[in-house]
Amino acid sequence: MTDRRLVPVPDRDTAPYWAALAQGRLIVQHCRDCGVWTWPARPICSGCHGDNLAWEDTSGTGSVYSWVVTHQAYGPDLARMVPYTVALVRLDEQGDILIPGRFVSDVEINQGLKVRAAPEAVSDEVGILNWEAI
Amino acid sequence: MSDASRFPRAEVAIAGIGCTEFSKDSGVGVFTLAARAIKAAILDAGLEVGDVDGLCTFGTNDSIPPNILAQALGIQSLSFYLDQFYGGSVSLSTIGQATLALSAGVADCVVCYRALNGRSGIRMSGSSVGAGGQRLPWDMQFKASAAYIAPAQEIAMAARAHMLKYGTTNEDFGRIAVLSRTHALDNERAMMRTPMTMDDYLASRWIVEPFRKFDCCLETDGAVALVLVRSDRAKDLPHRPVLVQGASWGGGTTIVNNGHDDITESPAKPIADRLYKAAGLGPSDIEFAELYDCFTYNVLSQVEGYGFAESGGVPAMLADGVFNRATGSLPLNTHGGLLSEGYIHGLNHVYEAVQQIRGDAEHRQVERHDVALVTGQLGYVSGYSSAAVLVGA
Repeated sequence: MTDRRLVPVPDRDTAPYWAALAQGRLIVQHCRDCGVWTWPARPICSGCHGDNLAWEDTSGTGSVYSWVVTHQAYGPDLARMVPYTVALVRLDEQGDILIPGRFVSDVEINQGLKVRAAPEAVSDEVGILNWEAI
Repeated sequence: MSDASRFPRAEVAIAGIGCTEFSKDSGVGVFTLAARAIKAAILDAGLEVGDVDGLCTFGTNDSIPPNILAQALGIQSLSFYLDQFYGGSVSLSTIGQATLALSAGVADCVVCYRALNGRSGIRMSGSSVGAGGQRLPWDMQFKASAAYIAPAQEIAMAARAHMLKYGTTNEDFGRIAVLSRTHALDNERAMMRTPMTMDDYLASRWIVEPFRKFDCCLETDGAVALVLVRSDRAKDLPHRPVLVQGASWGGGTTIVNNGHDDITESPAKPIADRLYKAAGLGPSDIEFAELYDCFTYNVLSQVEGYGFAESGGVPAMLADGVFNRATGSLPLNTHGGLLSEGYIHGLNHVYEAVQQIRGDAEHRQVERHDVALVTGQLGYVSGYSSAAVLVGA
């Protein structure tokens, strides 16, 4: 568990995503009709605009596309975290899915670095997605 | 089939401009700031408060809305209003929308304004997430998860990708910061009037790598207002009419969305295409530009997106002095921009463009000043963007 106060606020459409992260799983919507993955969760497939979307476990792995090192605290509980690195990671499942997450490994980060999801539970309903070097 | 060239080209003009002081602490409320700027703009236009029948603004709930202002101005019933959520990305759409209303004849005199206590009140740098009454965008949950909630972080992410792809450097960003400061030195409105060197830029502290403090715009208390009327009426008013030759507004790209796998592609491109169609001219016709500079990288990406440079081609232009006010072929941010003049979310760029086109820019005056490109933020964060081409009558 974490005592971080800046946490995602789920809505009815995204609740499964956050709950899965609380259990350590990165699930993404996968269209049963056209096979395209859609992130973040939305009610319409990004490939065919259909609504036949299924939540599926992903490999949880990807590669770093870009990153920033945050020195400024943008919220009250972030002062404890700075400086911290946010990586934008290209998911292995589909090249146009770029997911931001805090990079929590000590290794030097660079473009192309292989990473995997390292979820962190905030509550039973909500987990935070971090990335760690493989 | 929709066609951007059907925009009511040059049918509307900016006839008046007004602004308050730009400061770190206005000492008054946002309501007062708006009222002061609007009254100044109406006076500048040679009109009266009773002439106004439309009010347009934008902001993230840190402004004063048209319905409240209308009461204060004694407007019995607004003919046209607009109150858009979000910041600079939607700024120029107020001009575009007002133009549609005026051109259609459903309004006669529309004021576009932005008023905020952006330094002494709700600040972008301290609390980007739902500070007291701010509406949270739907995608904030995905950003909160990563503690990735500030525009500085999101835009720095794109800047880094550009550096990786094209070899762009911090020195290139620094040239933009130094140029903006140079242009602000003799601008009486500017908040920052001490010189900045490249060494100063490189010594400024990291905010979000690769952005340093001097890559980031100011936070400002102040207001800017513009008075728009149909062009034939503007001819009879005191100043040279500044025609809205074209405007476009619409989608940019958000970073939290699949379908874009290269965030270095300038989100300005689709807006630029429609803008030039609306205006009936192209990049080579632009004589000077006031480009939205919440961060230095935005300027670079807009120079690419609006057709002035190939991808990766801006650093060479910076080194060649292309954007210098006095000697360059495309003077940029002639007032110092959001980086050094003040941060009124883009409307202060319009204010400066109007002064330049009128020939009233004093020491800042650029020689070729009839055709200007003015832009809102190019689409990061909100996914909206907006821009206009202004031409002197």
